[in-house]
Amino acid sequence: MTARAAPAWWGNAGFLTSFVFLLAVWQLSGLVMNKIFISTPAAVVGAFVEILADGTLVSRFIDSALEMGVGVAIASVIGIGLGVLMGRSARVERAFEPILNFANATPTIALLPLMEIWFGLGSSARIAFIVIICVWTVLINTLTGIKNVRVGHRDVARAFGLNGIEATRKVYVPSAMPFILAGLRIALAQAAVGMILSGQEIGEFGLGGLTEEYATFYQTEHLIAAIIASTGLAMLAFAGLRLYQSRRQPWIAATAAGRR
Amino acid sequence: MLQAVGISKSYRSGTSEVQALKDVDLDIYAGEFLSLVGPSGCGKTTLLRIIDGLTPASGGSVVFDGMTQQGVSREMAFVFQDINLLPWRSVVENVEIGLEARGLGAVERRQRALETLRLVGLESVADRPPYTLSGGMQQRVGVARALAIQPKVLLMDEPFVHLDNFTRETLQIELSKLWQRLKLTIVFVTHDVDEAIFLSDRIALFRSAPGRIAEIATVDLPHPRWDYNVRADPRAIELREHIIDALQVRQSLLV
Repeated sequence: MTARAAPAWWGNAGFLTSFVFLLAVWQLSGLVMNKIFISTPAAVVGAFVEILADGTLVSRFIDSALEMGVGVAIASVIGIGLGVLMGRSARVERAFEPILNFANATPTIALLPLMEIWFGLGSSARIAFIVIICVWTVLINTLTGIKNVRVGHRDVARAFGLNGIEATRKVYVPSAMPFILAGLRIALAQAAVGMILSGQEIGEFGLGGLTEEYATFYQTEHLIAAIIASTGLAMLAFAGLRLYQSRRQPWIAATAAGRR
Repeated sequence: MLQAVGISKSYRSGTSEVQALKDVDLDIYAGEFLSLVGPSGCGKTTLLRIIDGLTPASGGSVVFDGMTQQGVSREMAFVFQDINLLPWRSVVENVEIGLEARGLGAVERRQRALETLRLVGLESVADRPPYTLSGGMQQRVGVARALAIQPKVLLMDEPFVHLDNFTRETLQIELSKLWQRLKLTIVFVTHDVDEAIFLSDRIALFRSAPGRIAEIATVDLPHPRWDYNVRADPRAIELREHIIDALQVRQSLLV
């Protein structure tokens, strides 16, 4: 009774205070620093409104979101598919494990020029790079999830006579879903990096291309506006995944609360 | 009808070989309620899993209706200590899982699952997610899931051990009623002597290291047992003393 928890608005108020303080410091820095370095909040807002109004931001945002979406979708199909196969079949796992280790150890960014050579200087090369930067995370998490399916769930599949495919589909994959979704969450962040980087390097495309253009001409306020838009895109993707998880897997929060 | 013949089970634990079960023979008769009772780690759960085919035996065989059993039995159904309902499925979908594996159509499946849920008094929560139910209700769903495949033998591994006393006693009575009504054959693992006496026709008493059956006690008490106070019945008291002596519980207490 005595130690009352701080009301929810207090946390928000604290955040708001520090945020406003930060903005104020940033704005004042414009008085003493060259605006090329970090610009000022007012200028960034101006730039943001400008590129929003002339349609640049919207079209670049959609371009990037589409390529990132396609890339993540392909990576999910390959990563989840292969991860499930490897998790359920020792033979498949033995066949792919060395390749997986090798590929996962390769610094993915080094593969960007290779994607250009393979797929040309267009959309397919950028999407291929997004796939290759995030597919390993999806795969490894799926594999880990399948291998860590609760013994009790495995027992149910066997005791009630499910065959291998039924057990995979009806027990193993749903049981591994928290792992798979955790992997997808990291993969989305990696895909966002891939989206920006491939946009910068291959054909100055989408939001990545936009940052490259603005940086070339030292338009720092526009650059920061484009960066904020990129962050927004990634956060939108996270929010979508979280929404999916809370809709489809409400038991995760419920059972976590029940466990002590 | 069901025989465990010379069942042995050993496994490696680090560098040493642990003998969980040694030459266990057990005859289970059609329609009986048989309990396996013994201290923790005596191998009673392992024997139950071997009977179902969930755990392979190191030696011996399980014979069902004259046939040596291979793999997991289709005639027996298992009720788990940890219940193990699948949280992504609703209650009725959990009950349906064994029927899906047996290739029943969706309509027939649903119908039979609902009938089985009615049997355990849970038809009204059929569409709820299992984690919203109490522990006792969840284990009723576990029983319904097993009964839905209309097994010849129900194998129950300490199904009530995680429940509170009131719920446990309620479920014991319900189980006893179901057993008589459906003329089931039940093999029931427990370490609760009173529970075993209340439910069983016969009680197999285990000793550990290596796990083996020391004795099979017959429970000579009239049915139905929910009509009178079994625990206060002199025969039950005598049997309880006998079982506790046979299990050597007192000797093993460290004083």
